[in-house]
Amino acid sequence: MAILTGCARPAPVKPAAAKTAPPALSYEIRLGRATYQHYCQTCHGETGAGDGFNAFNLDPHPRDLSDPKFQKAKTDADLADAIQRGGAGVGLSSLMPPWGRTLTREQVDQVVLYLRSMEKHP
Amino acid sequence: MPLRRLFALTSVAFLVVLAISPAKNALRPYRGLQRKFAALGAARAHSAQQAREYAARPVAIHQIWLAELDQRVDRCTTCHLGVADPVMKGAPPPFALHPWTPHAPGQIDRFGCTSCHEGQGPATSEGQAHGTARDAGPPLLPVTYVEGGCGRCHATQVVREAPVLSRGRAVMDRYGCFACHGARGHEGFRSEAPPLSSEPVKTGAGWLRRWLTKPRDVDPNSTMPDFQLSAAEIDELAHYVLGQDVPEDLARRVRAAAEEPAGDVANGKKLFAEARCISCHTVEGKGQGSAPELSKVATAANRGWLLAYVRDPHAFNPRTPMPQYHFSDVESRDVVAYMEDEFRDFDAPADILEPLHVNRTLAEAGEKTFHRYGCPSCHGARGARSVEKFGPDLDGIGDKKAAFLDFGRRTDLPRTLTAWLTAKVDAPRSFAKALRMPSYGLNADDSQAVVTALLSLGGQPVPEAYRVRPASQPAPIPSGRVGELVDRYRCLSCHQIGDRGGDISTAPLTFEGSKVQRDWLVDYLVLSYSIRPILTERMPIFHMPREEAVQLADAIETLFVDPRVPEDPFQGRPASDADLVEGERLYTTLGCRGCHILGQKGGYYGPPLTDTGGRLKPGWTYTWLKGPQRWRADVRCPDYGLTDRDALRLTAYLATLHAPAVTAKGAR
Repeated sequence: MAILTGCARPAPVKPAAAKTAPPALSYEIRLGRATYQHYCQTCHGETGAGDGFNAFNLDPHPRDLSDPKFQKAKTDADLADAIQRGGAGVGLSSLMPPWGRTLTREQVDQVVLYLRSMEKHP
Repeated sequence: MPLRRLFALTSVAFLVVLAISPAKNALRPYRGLQRKFAALGAARAHSAQQAREYAARPVAIHQIWLAELDQRVDRCTTCHLGVADPVMKGAPPPFALHPWTPHAPGQIDRFGCTSCHEGQGPATSEGQAHGTARDAGPPLLPVTYVEGGCGRCHATQVVREAPVLSRGRAVMDRYGCFACHGARGHEGFRSEAPPLSSEPVKTGAGWLRRWLTKPRDVDPNSTMPDFQLSAAEIDELAHYVLGQDVPEDLARRVRAAAEEPAGDVANGKKLFAEARCISCHTVEGKGQGSAPELSKVATAANRGWLLAYVRDPHAFNPRTPMPQYHFSDVESRDVVAYMEDEFRDFDAPADILEPLHVNRTLAEAGEKTFHRYGCPSCHGARGARSVEKFGPDLDGIGDKKAAFLDFGRRTDLPRTLTAWLTAKVDAPRSFAKALRMPSYGLNADDSQAVVTALLSLGGQPVPEAYRVRPASQPAPIPSGRVGELVDRYRCLSCHQIGDRGGDISTAPLTFEGSKVQRDWLVDYLVLSYSIRPILTERMPIFHMPREEAVQLADAIETLFVDPRVPEDPFQGRPASDADLVEGERLYTTLGCRGCHILGQKGGYYGPPLTDTGGRLKPGWTYTWLKGPQRWRADVRCPDYGLTDRDALRLTAYLATLHAPAVTAKGAR
């Protein structure tokens, strides 16, 4: 009977341990980071603190996005809305441009994910 | 034995054997998984109706059949049932919803699974599909390297949603892998390494030995790898390289330059700053970095050579990206005097540039060494037009089976393609004795990126329907006098024209004629200034004679034209005062001053708009305002969705802005 059930089950090969660990940030957050660095960082700064290269030319200063109070007060939809409609579109300064026609919906969602990851933890 | 009994026994045996296949099939793991999935789906369902649908699903093999992609069949969804099911978000593996990526889970019917992940699509057991079972086909790509799958179809250098792949391709381009290793699509690759024909009149054995020991210790910007040469080999190579016959023209230039008097260091310093050498070179690490570090250059090359080179770099290296400045003889002497004064290694021994008394025997041995290590692949061979590729071809390396790879001494490595490639990139000679690939000293991220890029080199070309090739855009560069000027000033080293050129200046010149006023352009070519303060690189001041600037500007205005940009956006109707007021109001309410300077105030991101009326053509301004991403997708100026009327008003307002006249050089 054993012979008739065919060949023995093949011995599995152990999968190789990856030499480099997968990146700490997920794919979507990394894409969000790339978008943020390209479009947002000059005003909002490397850590989102509103201290970018251009920030000191602006009055009012750009928002500190890493502030935990701010992050708690806004939902993801609020953030996406502000990005797409700009400051003027949500009743704030027009110095924040509307990105809805420049960024795709996916890019905006990815930036929001990245913004969430920038929250300063005490 | 009675025949009847024999018949009975064999019939029963036959029935038992016949039952083996259905029994094996009933015990296949995917069946159990599918039942588990049905239960999970019923538990997670949003409604009773949906729960019933999950419970009622038949147990069957699922497949995605991609007729246009080499008739691929992917049966992964037989176990990975939740891959495109939003209900399964966060479910345990193998049922989890696929994380968002550009092609999955949304377009899984068009791309399947194996086109990105590799593995064996037609298999229905885990070991066979994932490639872990013995004698299974090539295994799944580890998730770390999954962007290699993107690169199979996306043949462009930069793939926006595959940053690791893009980085790998950039690293391979920078370090010139394709100079030694052939690959489909990279046949024409030429390294940026200089020809060595003028070395004997340029440098001495002291410096050359230091360089060959470890190039990047001498110049951190260099892309030349470390060949780990022995002292004897370095000696032989020094005798060979410094014993070559220098072409008479170059030798004469260097001799004549060496006999000229020294220049004025102070003037040289001023000229050096104007020439913006650090837009490509670095000094003490500051600068762009695609050209050599200059802080010790007077110790690398003697004064005569430096002077002859600065005057005409193209004579020494026809393919150098460095432009030929229009310095006068005195000015070039001054620049070199400054370099000789400032840019030397003050700790180097005095005889570092001493010429070598060449020993012919060592030089002959050196020539063999020179060829043994494949130096001609990057540096070119004397007399030969092209060199056969020194290393093995990289086509199909992404599909190579691990069983066909030679692991040699590296018994510490797991027997997988990715482990082999990583070890090869990090320590190329560790596999056996007498291997010749040099080591590039890449950090872990770059090394992972390069392996990802290598894994995208598949054996079979991808069908047309799935291939993404770079869009070809012709570059309108004329030949003749203007073409010579573009070549001499090496515009393409920094500027993009069509699909050619570099990206140091980031704004393409392809349609510059439609964009800027001709008179402004002539003045700018003669005396350039910073247009975008955010960039650290600056256009050099070439000391271009005005006639040449006029020729270039006229050619640009005639040829570098976008037919979509209207000559007159106002269509004969000039703007009224009300329109100008409205335009100014729009400027304020849209918040343009956040990025642009107007007069004294504004942001540092985009170009100052103070002189828009003098610099830009209104037709272009109008077309830009209606969609800034038209010429380049990654432009940061946002698209405000302006109506035609608003765009015209804003254009009219901007066209009234003129900077005060410049009275003295550098007054801006």
